Amino acid sequence: MAALPAKLLKVALIVSIPGGLYLLGVNKHAERGALRQAAVELTPACKAKLQDYALRPGGQYRSPYLKKMTGSWSELRGYSEEDVRAIQRGCNIVDDTQGQLARDGARERWNSTRYSRSTHSSCEHCHQGVGDKQDAAGKRLVGSNGLAASWVMADMYDRFTGLLLPYELRQMQCYINSSNGFKPNAADDLLRDVTAYSRFLAAALDVKIGNRYPEQGMDEIPASATLRRGDDYVRGAYMYREKCATCHGPQGLGTVVQGRVLYPALAGAESFSFDSRMNFARIDTVMPGFICRNMPPGAEGSLDNQQCRDIAIYLSTLPRPAGDKQGPLVAAWQQLMMTVMPPLTRYAESLGRNDTPRVPD
Amino acid sequence: MDSAESPDGKDGKQRRTGIGWLLRVLSNPPAAAAAIAAFVLWAHFGSGIHAFRSHVPSAPGWQQFRASYGVDDFGADGYFTRAAQNGYNLFYFTHEYGGRFTRKTARDAVNSCAGCHTVEDLAYGFVNSDRFDAKLGRRMSFEERVMRCYAGPMNGFIPTLYDPAVRDIRILARAVAHHLQLSEGARKDRS
Repeated sequence: MAALPAKLLKVALIVSIPGGLYLLGVNKHAERGALRQAAVELTPACKAKLQDYALRPGGQYRSPYLKKMTGSWSELRGYSEEDVRAIQRGCNIVDDTQGQLARDGARERWNSTRYSRSTHSSCEHCHQGVGDKQDAAGKRLVGSNGLAASWVMADMYDRFTGLLLPYELRQMQCYINSSNGFKPNAADDLLRDVTAYSRFLAAALDVKIGNRYPEQGMDEIPASATLRRGDDYVRGAYMYREKCATCHGPQGLGTVVQGRVLYPALAGAESFSFDSRMNFARIDTVMPGFICRNMPPGAEGSLDNQQCRDIAIYLSTLPRPAGDKQGPLVAAWQQLMMTVMPPLTRYAESLGRNDTPRVPD
Repeated sequence: MDSAESPDGKDGKQRRTGIGWLLRVLSNPPAAAAAIAAFVLWAHFGSGIHAFRSHVPSAPGWQQFRASYGVDDFGADGYFTRAAQNGYNLFYFTHEYGGRFTRKTARDAVNSCAGCHTVEDLAYGFVNSDRFDAKLGRRMSFEERVMRCYAGPMNGFIPTLYDPAVRDIRILARAVAHHLQLSEGARKDRS
């Protein structure tokens, strides 16, 4: 008889543990459902962008951008309230992936920081202008990594992965490599909302499926586009100090003020990993292209091709997180370097402060 | 009872000797390498099994389709073109090429996607996907619609999101949408 209560207790435990987990799952699911229905508080950049493109619920959509650039309307299918909210959330994620502008970052950005080890990374850093960078006249900028142009060219063969790379898988790579993190599920709202936003941009800009647009990807710079004086990291270090260090810090560790990332890290634990396409040591054309077309802000295009390659190779010599392909030894070494190098470098630079070479005026 | 004493004892002994010989040969590294190479060559050239071949079987009408819809714009051959061709096969001959995901057979009147849709419908469906579906009460992706077609009208099973049975239909839709120069949200009734 005494064995009966013990048995019952055992059964209750066996039932209650999975039952509890199930109820927790149901609760999370309901919470997600409620979040999808909740009004979206837009970041200032998203508010301006989506207002410019006249995003609102309705049976048809007419793009003001198209009217402005071509003088004609194109009548496209409109968006339901649910679609509008998904697009708004996607825009917020692109503009402020870490949720630093949100009241409740984890909830409003679908817990995006769970997928990123870097506390600096945001889609906006590489996809500037909230994924749609334009000049004052509204012209989309060459090599600005526009999301709409990327969407219409998704599913093409990718030589790095050996896949016909869907848009969602490409976003996963951004989380894994550029944010040094983990991949969300392909059907996660985090990815789907960014896809919804990218597709809305494609409608607003009237870009056609499968066409190549100059704002797609980086305007890559190979060595053949230089005078072939060699990519020199010493020259790059000098250029970095002159052109980049004011914002990104002397060691590329970024600038954070009152918990908000003003300029992202280009090296160190908060930076992109070895496997990122931004790493010059992996692909030597992407980062130079990005620098030449997008940096420094306000003076884009002021650096020549060789200078961009020099800065990029210099950045690749700084310690950063190892990627999936490097293995545990390299990862451990990089961890050590990321810990030891910043204070050592600071100390060494304080010793030789007056030895910094100067270019004659 | 010892198998050697059974009526088929001789066969059993021979079989054991044969397996032993095979194991001895395969434990020799060069012989094992040669055996693997022979298997790969047989699988690729001699077996006739599609899974081992990287090219896509040319179904009836493909040449005309690729010319009509400008598939060669993506290259006469290549990963994308092959995926689009597989998408074509799946779309027009679903029971044959997507047999794992449908119970429909050649005897059924409607046994393929083409039984209900035109390929242009597919392209318009693609550029209008990822939208809210009032009937289901949630946003639906193109892939999910394809998966539901396999499970519903095709009376079959749901492929995973990454299965070529879904992916290649999407790529076919992309290729056709490119040919029609569709933008996001383009409507057939307005074109």
